Amino acid sequence: MSNPTETDAAQERTAAPPTPPRPAEWWRSARRQWAAAAVLAAAACYAPFQLVPFHVFQLTMVLVYAVALLGLNLLVGHAGQISLGHGAFFAVGAYTAAILFDRWALPYPLTLPVAAGAAFLLGLAFGVPAMRLRGLYLALVTLAIAIFLVPLLKRFEELTGGSMGLTLAKPAPPAWSGLAEDQWLYFLTLVVAVAAFLLCVGLLRSRVGRALHAIRDNEGAAEVMGVRLSVHKTLAFAWSAMFAGTAGCLYTWVIGFVSPDSFTVNLSITLLAGLVVGGLGSLSGPVLGGLFVMFVPGIAQDINDAAPGVIFGLLIIAVMYVAPTGLAGLAGRLLRKIPRKE
Amino acid sequence: MAGFLQQLVQGLGAGAVYASLALALVLIYQFTGIVNFAQGELAMFSTYIAWQLTAAGLPFWPALVLTLAVSFAGGMLIERVIIRPVEGAPELTLVIVTVGLFIFVNAAAGWIWTFLIKDFPNPFPAGALEAGGISIGLSTLGVLAVVGVVMGLLYLLFRHTKIGLGMRAVAANPESARLVGIRVGWTLALGWGLASTVGAVSGVLVAPLLFLEPNMMGGVLIYAFAAATLGGFDSPVGAVVGGLIVGVAETLAGAYVGFIGSDLKVGVPLVIILGVLLLRPQGLFGRAVVERA
Amino acid sequence: MTHLVVKDLTAGYGDARVLHGVGLTVGEGEICAILGPNGAGKTTLLRALSGMIRARGTVTLGGADLTGHPPDTLARQGVAHVPEGRGTFMPLTVEENLRLGAYVRRRGPELEADLDRIHGYFPVLKTRLKQAAGSLSGGEQQMLAIGRALMSRPRLLLLDEPSLGLAPLVTRELFRIVQAINAEERTTVVVVEQNAHLALGIAQQAHVLETGRIVLSGTAEEIRADEQVAQSYLGYRV
Repeated sequence: MSNPTETDAAQERTAAPPTPPRPAEWWRSARRQWAAAAVLAAAACYAPFQLVPFHVFQLTMVLVYAVALLGLNLLVGHAGQISLGHGAFFAVGAYTAAILFDRWALPYPLTLPVAAGAAFLLGLAFGVPAMRLRGLYLALVTLAIAIFLVPLLKRFEELTGGSMGLTLAKPAPPAWSGLAEDQWLYFLTLVVAVAAFLLCVGLLRSRVGRALHAIRDNEGAAEVMGVRLSVHKTLAFAWSAMFAGTAGCLYTWVIGFVSPDSFTVNLSITLLAGLVVGGLGSLSGPVLGGLFVMFVPGIAQDINDAAPGVIFGLLIIAVMYVAPTGLAGLAGRLLRKIPRKE
Repeated sequence: MAGFLQQLVQGLGAGAVYASLALALVLIYQFTGIVNFAQGELAMFSTYIAWQLTAAGLPFWPALVLTLAVSFAGGMLIERVIIRPVEGAPELTLVIVTVGLFIFVNAAAGWIWTFLIKDFPNPFPAGALEAGGISIGLSTLGVLAVVGVVMGLLYLLFRHTKIGLGMRAVAANPESARLVGIRVGWTLALGWGLASTVGAVSGVLVAPLLFLEPNMMGGVLIYAFAAATLGGFDSPVGAVVGGLIVGVAETLAGAYVGFIGSDLKVGVPLVIILGVLLLRPQGLFGRAVVERA
Repeated sequence: MTHLVVKDLTAGYGDARVLHGVGLTVGEGEICAILGPNGAGKTTLLRALSGMIRARGTVTLGGADLTGHPPDTLARQGVAHVPEGRGTFMPLTVEENLRLGAYVRRRGPELEADLDRIHGYFPVLKTRLKQAAGSLSGGEQQMLAIGRALMSRPRLLLLDEPSLGLAPLVTRELFRIVQAINAEERTTVVVVEQNAHLALGIAQQAHVLETGRIVLSGTAEEIRADEQVAQSYLGYRV
């Protein structure tokens, strides 16, 4: 601690993601990004017609998690704050949609804005006390929320269905589309996910994004420069909760079933793990994280029930040591090497 | 009235367990500024070691001593191997690393000992003391006594030994501590070892009440966080007082507030944490730093 | 007899080099003053000597090589550094602060005698033994810091800007005590000081550091007589 050179080195190794590239580089990389996005979009639209329904479902869930991670990334990767309870906001979105659907038979497209709004407001409510102080307390408060939510959901049985949960009809594909249910759900999710992605990019390119980066990189300096810390941090948290709530709503659409035990602390921790491994502070991190969250536990579980946890735990620690930008950072490094060889 | 006192005693018993885990959290926070999210899981792992030793035929108390020794060494090892590389890193990194440790230790215990619950021997006799219409379980008294002894030993260590003085010096000013010749790195490892030992005590105390399983400490951890927040993260005394208050508050809320009942008690730590953040962020015993330059 | 020998010392922070090959020698029991403007590298020089930052070059004390060791090892070798800002252990009591100074020594009657000796130099500390060190005034904290350093029975005492933030009277008193300590204990002292008058008043020899290099060395009298120094650091012409 007292050896500055060592500390600096440690900080470099573990610091949040690198600074954005210079304008010229950015333009070149932006063009490449657009090209990549077009290829991805084409592949995303083509895939559901080539895969069996179960794989389409899996892909849909990857997108659902990616939307949640997009929100978590906004908070952790861009604002440098920690949430150990994003599963709770995910659950709030899921249950809001389910209850609106179940009790008031609200048409499902309308459940989305309500679910997102509910999560946003809840994020705002808890963000205000937690953000007055250092980020550490946000981690504690969110963890406490995540733990508290499960018994709370079980308690209000007449509304939430208690431990049994609620079973719902999934959104049916309209006749004109000619799509099967799994394909329809996939495209619904894809549209929301793309919209969420664009919203997130827009947020980050706006003043808000610059303020968040300033906070993450140097809170003291940001404050001196006139960034209103608590306002931006609280808003970042609320936005972030909103994305999680949106993902929760999609989850309800896709699964057609919600129960308290789907939204334990484990979900929150898994989301954080997915994001860290996927890549903090990068745009592709949430998607890679979504893939990770969806597929790695399933594969690992074949070895041992505990294997996913062992792998997650070790990977998180390893990523923080050697590749703080996660899979996205590694992928980026590889991609950057290719043009140099030309 | 007797019923109330009965609940109070029960709350103190629960609080003593929270206090010991909170003490472990505070020990590490003081030295390294890290809130160790894996503290509960390390305690759980230690408890499994104790279980394994008793299952192998060792009597309880020798098994406990051996467990504490292993926990101490394990805590030091974790600091040296896992925490050392990120020493001085941003808080975000530290929290993520301890969360990673949390997931890993939890799963590792599940891998080694499976997720099936195990019966953990209660070291204290089953009877109860009757006094003035309330009965105090001997095991409750035992838990309180053990936490009291741990507190006393820590007090002696910190106030009356050279190592303890060195540890407090590191907590107060690591750079200056190095200049007077204290090996700061080892002192930090010592802090982790000590915290793991204290945490192991809380695990062993709680296991007979909750059954031993890998997720045993998840619930306790959040109470310990509430206790440390309430008492002040930089105050060992605060951690203990905070733990007792949280235990009593939780028990009384469960017993007397009909809406809360036994299932929503876990909301109590959330309310306490939020309340402290709003009203007295440094906690009851925490120092709001006042220093003359 | 030379005691501290520094040769070609290079040090800095990260990529920024602050010291570019500093060399100096200090005789046993001497006081050596390091003068120079802000940012010249005076504090960096002390930090390099006590191992707080890594440095290249060689440093020997009484023939023993000190180069490249961490501060806790150097403290055991007899280097006591009173850092900028005094390094007080704020929440600990005055007595605990002093005892920490003797951390590298064994407990025993000698140590208790040393405590008494330090109370002799700084009587005010004796009246505050059980008080939290953070509640002391700036001057008292500086005394405590020097007292703490002496508790290790140092062979080399490094003082960084002891006058910083203190009233002139307190500063003068402090320098008088440093001189007394040096005279009685034969402790070699390297003192970095903005107040060149005071520093030259107690030092046998002095060096002027500018942008990481020693630009002038000599006895205290020679330095005091130097026109350039007089203009820059003493505020008058010879």
